Amino acid sequence: MEMTKSSGAEVKTRGHILIEDVVKVYDPEGAAVMAVDHCSLEIEAGEICMIVGPSGCGKTTLLNAIAGFHEITSGRILLDGEVLCSAQKPRAEPGPDRIVVFQNGALFPWKTNLENVVFGPVMQGRMTKAEALDRGRAMMADAGLAGVEHNYPGEVSSGMRRRVEIVRALMNNPAVLLLDEPYRALDSLTKSVMHEALLEIYYKNKVTIFFITHDLEEAIFLGHRVAIMTTRPCKPKKLLTVDIPHPRDYSVLTSKRFRELMQETSEAVHEEARKAFQAGEREG
Amino acid sequence: MEVQAGQEHEARAALRESAPFRDASERLLERIAAVARLVRVEQGARIYGAGEVADDLYIVASGRVEHVFKREVGAREALKRIGPGGVFGWAGLLLGQSARLASATAVEPATLLRIPAEDLVKILESEPVEGAAVMDRFGQMIQRDFTVPTFLAQVRRLSGAPLTEEMSRFSLTMYRISLWVKSPRPYLMMIGFAIFLGTWYLAVEVWRLPRFRDMPGLTVVVKEWLSPNPTYGLSVYTAEYYQHIWVSIWRVTQAFFLATALGVPLGLLMGWSPRFKEYVFPIFEMLRPIPILAWVPLAIVMFIATESAVIFLAFLASFFATALNTMLGVQSIDESYVRAAHCLGAKRWQVFRHVIIPGALPFIFTGLQISIGVCWFSLVAAEMVSGQYGLGYVINTSYVMVRYPTIIIGMATLGIVGYATSALVRIAGDYLMQWRVRELALSEG
Amino acid sequence: MAAGGARRINARVVTHGLVSILIFLVLWEVGSRSKVWLAWDAFGPLRDLIAAFGLKTHYLPWIGAVPAPSAVFKAWMGVIDQAGYWQSWYMSFQRVLGGFVAAMLIGIPYGLMLAVSRTAHGINFPVFESLRPIPPLAWVPASIIFWPTQELAIMFITFLGAFYTIVINVVGGAKSIDGRFFQAAQSMGASKWDIFKRIVLPGTLPSIMVGSAVGMGITWEVVVAAEMISGGGSQMGGSGGGLGFFIWNSYVGGSYEQIVVGMISIGIAGYVSSELLRSLGTYVTPWLRVR
Repeated sequence: MEMTKSSGAEVKTRGHILIEDVVKVYDPEGAAVMAVDHCSLEIEAGEICMIVGPSGCGKTTLLNAIAGFHEITSGRILLDGEVLCSAQKPRAEPGPDRIVVFQNGALFPWKTNLENVVFGPVMQGRMTKAEALDRGRAMMADAGLAGVEHNYPGEVSSGMRRRVEIVRALMNNPAVLLLDEPYRALDSLTKSVMHEALLEIYYKNKVTIFFITHDLEEAIFLGHRVAIMTTRPCKPKKLLTVDIPHPRDYSVLTSKRFRELMQETSEAVHEEARKAFQAGEREG
Repeated sequence: MEVQAGQEHEARAALRESAPFRDASERLLERIAAVARLVRVEQGARIYGAGEVADDLYIVASGRVEHVFKREVGAREALKRIGPGGVFGWAGLLLGQSARLASATAVEPATLLRIPAEDLVKILESEPVEGAAVMDRFGQMIQRDFTVPTFLAQVRRLSGAPLTEEMSRFSLTMYRISLWVKSPRPYLMMIGFAIFLGTWYLAVEVWRLPRFRDMPGLTVVVKEWLSPNPTYGLSVYTAEYYQHIWVSIWRVTQAFFLATALGVPLGLLMGWSPRFKEYVFPIFEMLRPIPILAWVPLAIVMFIATESAVIFLAFLASFFATALNTMLGVQSIDESYVRAAHCLGAKRWQVFRHVIIPGALPFIFTGLQISIGVCWFSLVAAEMVSGQYGLGYVINTSYVMVRYPTIIIGMATLGIVGYATSALVRIAGDYLMQWRVRELALSEG
Repeated sequence: MAAGGARRINARVVTHGLVSILIFLVLWEVGSRSKVWLAWDAFGPLRDLIAAFGLKTHYLPWIGAVPAPSAVFKAWMGVIDQAGYWQSWYMSFQRVLGGFVAAMLIGIPYGLMLAVSRTAHGINFPVFESLRPIPPLAWVPASIIFWPTQELAIMFITFLGAFYTIVINVVGGAKSIDGRFFQAAQSMGASKWDIFKRIVLPGTLPSIMVGSAVGMGITWEVVVAAEMISGGGSQMGGSGGGLGFFIWNSYVGGSYEQIVVGMISIGIAGYVSSELLRSLGTYVTPWLRVR
């Protein structure tokens, strides 16, 4: 399923994800629990796809399946036409083409920020250490992180840590960036700054972004498309294309079109949230 | 907020009141007063909130301001009331900070001198010697008055000004000590020791209480310990004393290093490879519950030479503790780190070397501190039962030969030496895990 | 991902465990019988290797002196129907229980006091920490001098061993209670006693249970040591009894197989008591069982 486009335009052809009829059934203590229910979703290369849903609905399971941390029970997931996982090969291989930015951050606390950033290329041996350090410093400066290269992650603010983690991921030229509620633990002021920072980084490095959140505003602000998921078992309930043009900045938040989109979708989200609340879903 | 223009005199007076500018030259004050503005705020007015852009610095000319740090800053006391002469809003002067670290509200009607941080920095940069000194004093004032962790409170280095020295290790220690001395802790500690030693002295030597009568008294022990010619042969002046200490320490060292060399790799493997654990752990868990001293006769039978037997026993105890804690440490590593490493393309052995080992290190060192305690425990017991030389032996024979004060000398020496070795392990750990020391420092309070 | 899969995995784990234990026993058996087979001609080079280390060559070093599992088992069967053996169990358990209960009864309140009151902590903790590196066994002579009976002396030592661990765990546990629980309680109008009863106590309970499980292990160590020292190794005289004494006696009497019997018995006793404590722990803290 390659993306065909007329030549000439600068087109991103890496990072096309096809989720085909994926089912994931857990078996905790004998009672089969379906986490993902025949979910199908197609994500274009270079697209920012926001996955919105109530806590515990199974969206992280989807992300983990793409990343290769969990197995799927049936269905297929393809990346640029190649099968990542299927019923025959239930678990994908984790790799630098799909890098995850974790909810609580997974920067190695025992390495400095710069050492973290160059970890990927150094481990894979794609560059010499000197090259990697140069490139790392440049990318960090690009992201506004100059000056904290030699600090440990524990010494800088959580907003900075997130950005370092994203730079660490981008150093490997991934096809897809998988973000699992990365800004959940930040206060709303830092969050809005982080959003702009993420978009800035995105405009410089067009990767496919698969971003899980429960914050509808965040989703519409950042995404090209927003997929609203049902509560467990998870399945796309409504797909929204955000036709506000990129590049965007925070003035978008008060624009008329933004409010309209919020109106269109908030009912769907709210409905699922209410269902989840009644079902007593535990945090996923 | 009312702006009052032309209050140069008041502005300079306010600057003089504050710590960083107390000794500044008139010329510098003049320059700063030129870019500063006096503002009046009402009671209850919100001056700024945490997270906002840190653009202006404030000095209180009159009135009172309430300054509350946000939690992530890790200040020991988050709330501070600032009166005349106090400086706040200095976040813009710190390395790597551009947002407010706290929120500030006026609790009384106040007059504040507002100085744009960037303008201040430019002025200080253009003053070759004074500028650096003032920045220095900012740094000192912040650390002294605002209880923030040292690593946060590093002021920016002025470009073009001579490099001010980072807070050296020594001054850091001095600062910590000064904080400690100011707290009630050292005095309570002295009270505690006084009670303990006092009770001992009184119960044995003065009141001669029934049970305590036969115990060696405090003064007797101290006299013996410090006497150049001890009645029972052991004091800080006798060579024999140090011989025993050395023998015990040497045995512990051998046992401990051997146990660490074998226990850490075993623990790492057991934690890392489920398959390995399935094979090895059952045997491990079968042998572990057997108390170390139950091994004494068997050890004597096995090793014949008592020296090896004693070291073996200390080794065994230490080994179990180290291996177990290491294994638990590996198991406690957050899964996300391993997953992140996989995403970034690390192979299995790379994950082991770059994630598992550093990740388990804090737990390993906690285990090592437990382990060395256990090592001493077993060594002393083994020495008491079947040793020649060593502190355990000293304690045992002193009892047998009715040299009671020496028993206490032995015990006290054991305490000191045991503590010292434990501290050594901890220091080694701190040295290897710089990142953790800093992280913990930031979260103190 | 069916239930059968989980059962299959468990069976595999158990088999692996059993296999390795079996291999361990076999190696042990072979090793301890080395007096027999090492003399055979085929093992000439091995004997030379051992001799090169300056050790005696008529049995394997270390393992060769250990009694074989088969001999140990035989001895165990022999001892099982002797009253004296079970009497030893009883006496050891008695001492362990006595010392341990005393440690809990005194240690828990003491630890809570240190955790709750800064002043008490400041006064007590430094002295406590200074005395901690002194191994409990180093207190044996002092204890014997002080206490009127041998039994009390031994119990004091076992008390000491567990006391330290329990106090440290209680203090640590109380300190780690999330500050927000206190704030929530205060905002709901709780008195200091309420807070203590409903937050500090339950919040510290998990640490108390962990501390007691570890303390139990230490108690056994100390009991055995004390029994050996006072009943056997030195001339501190007095009644003996208990599994530690059993072991020492076996050594002195030359029945090495019985030494190992004693060791295994204590291992089992220690393991059983720790497990009992752990189950008690889960019973007492039901909220930790979820998940």
